[in-house]
Amino acid sequence: MLRCAKAGALAAALFPLLAQAQEPIPGAGPFFLTVQIGGGIGTVAVGGGYRLARQQLEPEVLVGFVPRRLAGGPALGIITLKTTYIPFSPKLGQHLRVSPLTVGGMLNYTLGRRFFLTSQSTGRYPTKGYYWWSSAVRVGAFVGPRLTYVGAAAQGWRRTSAYAELSTNDLYLVSLLSNKTLSPAEILTLGLGAKISR
Amino acid sequence: MTSFFSTFSIRFLLGTLLLSLAGCEWVEFSPNDHRAPAEESHLTRKNLARLEQQTLPPGDTLRFVFTGDSQRFYEQADDFVESVNQQPGISFVMVAGDISDFGLSREMRWVNEKLSKLRVPYLTVIGNHDQVANGRAAYQEIFGPLNYTFTYAGTRFIMTDTNGREYNFNGRIPDVPWVEQQLADTVGVQRQVVMSHVPPEDPDFDPTLRPAYTAALRNAPRLVFELNGHRHDFHIGQPFDDGVTYINSFAFEKRQYVVLTVWGQKQFRLKTIAF
Repeated sequence: MLRCAKAGALAAALFPLLAQAQEPIPGAGPFFLTVQIGGGIGTVAVGGGYRLARQQLEPEVLVGFVPRRLAGGPALGIITLKTTYIPFSPKLGQHLRVSPLTVGGMLNYTLGRRFFLTSQSTGRYPTKGYYWWSSAVRVGAFVGPRLTYVGAAAQGWRRTSAYAELSTNDLYLVSLLSNKTLSPAEILTLGLGAKISR
Repeated sequence: MTSFFSTFSIRFLLGTLLLSLAGCEWVEFSPNDHRAPAEESHLTRKNLARLEQQTLPPGDTLRFVFTGDSQRFYEQADDFVESVNQQPGISFVMVAGDISDFGLSREMRWVNEKLSKLRVPYLTVIGNHDQVANGRAAYQEIFGPLNYTFTYAGTRFIMTDTNGREYNFNGRIPDVPWVEQQLADTVGVQRQVVMSHVPPEDPDFDPTLRPAYTAALRNAPRLVFELNGHRHDFHIGQPFDDGVTYINSFAFEKRQYVVLTVWGQKQFRLKTIAF
């Protein structure tokens, strides 16, 4: 936990709350590429998306991977549909934009025979809803800060963002809500990522 | 881009941030990630080592707590621990499977966080819910083997995976030859107890193995009883009318547990405690 606190403090140092008046982020087209570490969607997940709604909404598709050694069996493949909403991105100096808070949701599917869409679909269980949830599909939500660097117009990859996010998923939330003794901090997961666009 | 990353202080901060994240348990690769921090893994081995250090109860009598199905009943787990810690003469706690509800590593660790506050060691057997998704790998990492035995105070406990349905009734779960072998090994053993999650009379027990499994138990002259979970409620009986007693545990949600006292060869006393 000490390391988490240290990471949190460092993240805070990187994202100071020196918010300035907001303008739309210049340059860079709507397409972006993403790489993410952790956050429940893979050891590493890569993907991309297309910015919508005056570049405040970033729907994307990611493909994640958890290697065999970490998965305790065959490697895990995770396909994630994710959308991030960036309500404001004030300027910090000439090239930086700070988004202290982004929010979003995701839906993912873990590939592999160990995971079922519904328990019924396995043909193993005698009754419908033997297990009421899907072990393959997770629904999640996240919040987190983001730092964006906007380069000169001539540069190839003009815009680079680094982000951190705290997320949870439906099953963790059910666990938290069905009793009074788990703390909200116990159901959180940290992810770290970067997005680039030309 | 270049000017941004060439700034030494920012590069240093980012580097340190990445290093911190690598060791931060909040960074989860998947809810199905089976790994657990060192202090939350191999708990069966650790609890058995703790039990070995414990002074044997005086005389011939052994007393332990029997419960099961802790899945998602975290509040009850707190109260359970508080109640058990007030019971005198308890050597350990037995949990008859379904530690987790969704087979997730974090759930097993949440339950351990509660049960590790017990004054005595606790031992588990795998349940069907612990095998959902990547649960079997998580259980093995956090707790340990799916079949194991230990002997304490002249009593040999044989813990076995009977969740046949989770293996598509492949004819190998429970591992009957292994159970027979453990029951046959009676050196230094005064009495035997078998614990598994799914009771043999349950539809989730592999029907092709039911006759062989129940026969193995019937033919074990030192067997006191078999302990099961899965059904969430207390029951004691001889469902096969063969002299073998089967006891089913309360689930945590029932806010009751059983205290079992065994002595002599097959004598036992049973007490239910509400909490």
